[in-house]
Amino acid sequence: MNKRQFVKQRKPAWKRFEKLVNRSATSKLRPKEAAQFSTLLRELSNDLAIVRSRDWGQHLEGFLNHLVGRGHNRFYRAPPGNLANAIRFATVDYPRLFRKHIWYFYTAAALFFVPLIISWTVVQLNPQLASRVLPNEALEQYDKMYEHDADEFTSANFGDKSMFMSGFYVYNNAGIALRAFAVGILMGGMTVYVLLSNGISIGATAGYMVAMGHGRTFSSFVISHGSFELTAIAIAGGAGLMLGNAIVHPGQRTRKEALRVQGLDAVKIAFGAAVMLFIAAGIEAFWSPAPIPAIFKYIVGATLWVVVYLYLFVAGRGE
Amino acid sequence: MSQSISTSKASAEEIGLDLRIETPENVILTYQLAGPAIRLGAYMIDFGIRAVVIVIISIFLLCTGMVMPGASGGLYALVWFFMEWGYFIVAEGFFRGKTIGKHALGLRVIDDRGHPLTFWGATLRNLLRAVDVLPLYGPGFISMVLTQRLQRMGDLVAGTVVISERRVVLPREPIILEKIEPLPRQELGSYVPERGTLSLIEDFLTRRHILSHERGHAMAAPLASVLAKRLRFQGDPDLPLKFPMAFLARLYVTFLKRDDEEDEDQIDWKPKRKRQRKSGRPRQRQTVSDW
Repeated sequence: MNKRQFVKQRKPAWKRFEKLVNRSATSKLRPKEAAQFSTLLRELSNDLAIVRSRDWGQHLEGFLNHLVGRGHNRFYRAPPGNLANAIRFATVDYPRLFRKHIWYFYTAAALFFVPLIISWTVVQLNPQLASRVLPNEALEQYDKMYEHDADEFTSANFGDKSMFMSGFYVYNNAGIALRAFAVGILMGGMTVYVLLSNGISIGATAGYMVAMGHGRTFSSFVISHGSFELTAIAIAGGAGLMLGNAIVHPGQRTRKEALRVQGLDAVKIAFGAAVMLFIAAGIEAFWSPAPIPAIFKYIVGATLWVVVYLYLFVAGRGE
Repeated sequence: MSQSISTSKASAEEIGLDLRIETPENVILTYQLAGPAIRLGAYMIDFGIRAVVIVIISIFLLCTGMVMPGASGGLYALVWFFMEWGYFIVAEGFFRGKTIGKHALGLRVIDDRGHPLTFWGATLRNLLRAVDVLPLYGPGFISMVLTQRLQRMGDLVAGTVVISERRVVLPREPIILEKIEPLPRQELGSYVPERGTLSLIEDFLTRRHILSHERGHAMAAPLASVLAKRLRFQGDPDLPLKFPMAFLARLYVTFLKRDDEEDEDQIDWKPKRKRQRKSGRPRQRQTVSDW
């Protein structure tokens, strides 16, 4: 068989396949068509191999290669995600994955919480040091914000302002966390910096508040969303450290391969942190400043801390 | 990154901007990788779209802002966050590796093992975009230039590549072959050109119209003179020299005809199934062994 006969004979099959590929992009194939798609994909793969082995020209090869490539991409799709998978990921797979890489979390948490506690203590004992870390305008603003009593923490248009703040918190905090994760690829150095600097400035803020006598107002405000927010920052930082460590310590793999393997786990972990920060933004905007007696906030806040850590450390065990 | 170049053939393949993958059907597929320039183009389109969406929404929110300043502002921050982080993830993750800009320029993101992009792959490569863009896409560009598969850092970690999917149409028959006279047999020696050479001539003739007449002759000249020598061409010596395209076309037809004749001979001992198929109803299934 020569090339012309081959083309003439196979052309109807190619045309048919092209039509099926085009149709599959816009609509679902009927069962019969799907079966034909599968047969034709194999036939065309065969045709491509023949054209290659007989050296029948770049042009024909390119055409078949393109067609088979498109078919291949349609045929071997990733299994579509569904709600059941998403729920399973949230309730079982995510906490398991988190615990699988728990030491990255511990490291990031140490890098974040230790400076936080130190700067808190130092600033509380010596409030004027706060201006070394935080800009003065910020400090003035904090003074104004927390002047009132813990039990009547509100302003006239509470609901509307909360909506603004929730959007702002998502934009700001989730953005910081995702960036802390992404820069992990630069061998983790920037991630460490983000963790340290955030830890120090948050600690300084807390110390300053307490030293200025707003301690009760401040703690009743932060306790609820702090559970999600502070934990999520440490989680995202840990995911960033995973990327960095894949470059620094690739182990038995090549660096590229190590990055790929670690990267897939790391991005899932970081994604979870971003979701937690969404939740935190909602709490921070709508619950934390709500005009409710401080005692309730302590109770709810403490419960949230327990819930977050139960989720991370217990969910998905023993299945 | 530095793979050892073992044979000259392998090195030629590595230089080409192709991604080669082996399918489950045991066929090597090649995808054309997309370079920085066209990807920048796609990015600019996406950038424009995101900017327009933000402008439209902010005009809308300015109106609602009179009534509910807080909610409008919060929504604005959310939209901004989504456009900054979510646009590419959603587009590539749920629309088979294509953003609007990529679709417009015929690009697609796929896994570098040939699988379609997964949601997590899309998320990973686009979160790391934050690093690739740091100053003016510098790190991303450097990474693309330094890697064989033109991957920015996000691509490297996620194991993805951007490919170009230009539409390719079935090549037509080169020219009206019947009108071309084959070269007389007595003017040719016994050498038979390789099939690859003939295919090359065919590809050339198919696309001859995109070249000017002079350019076409100029490009055909080296091959024509070499072939004339190998074939010990006895005819008009001016033909391969002055009209190399015509010479190649006639040469092609000559061997095409011979090919046909040989094939006819073969049909005699091969069963008649083939004849039947030609006339019969369109078949559903056919494999190599059938012919």
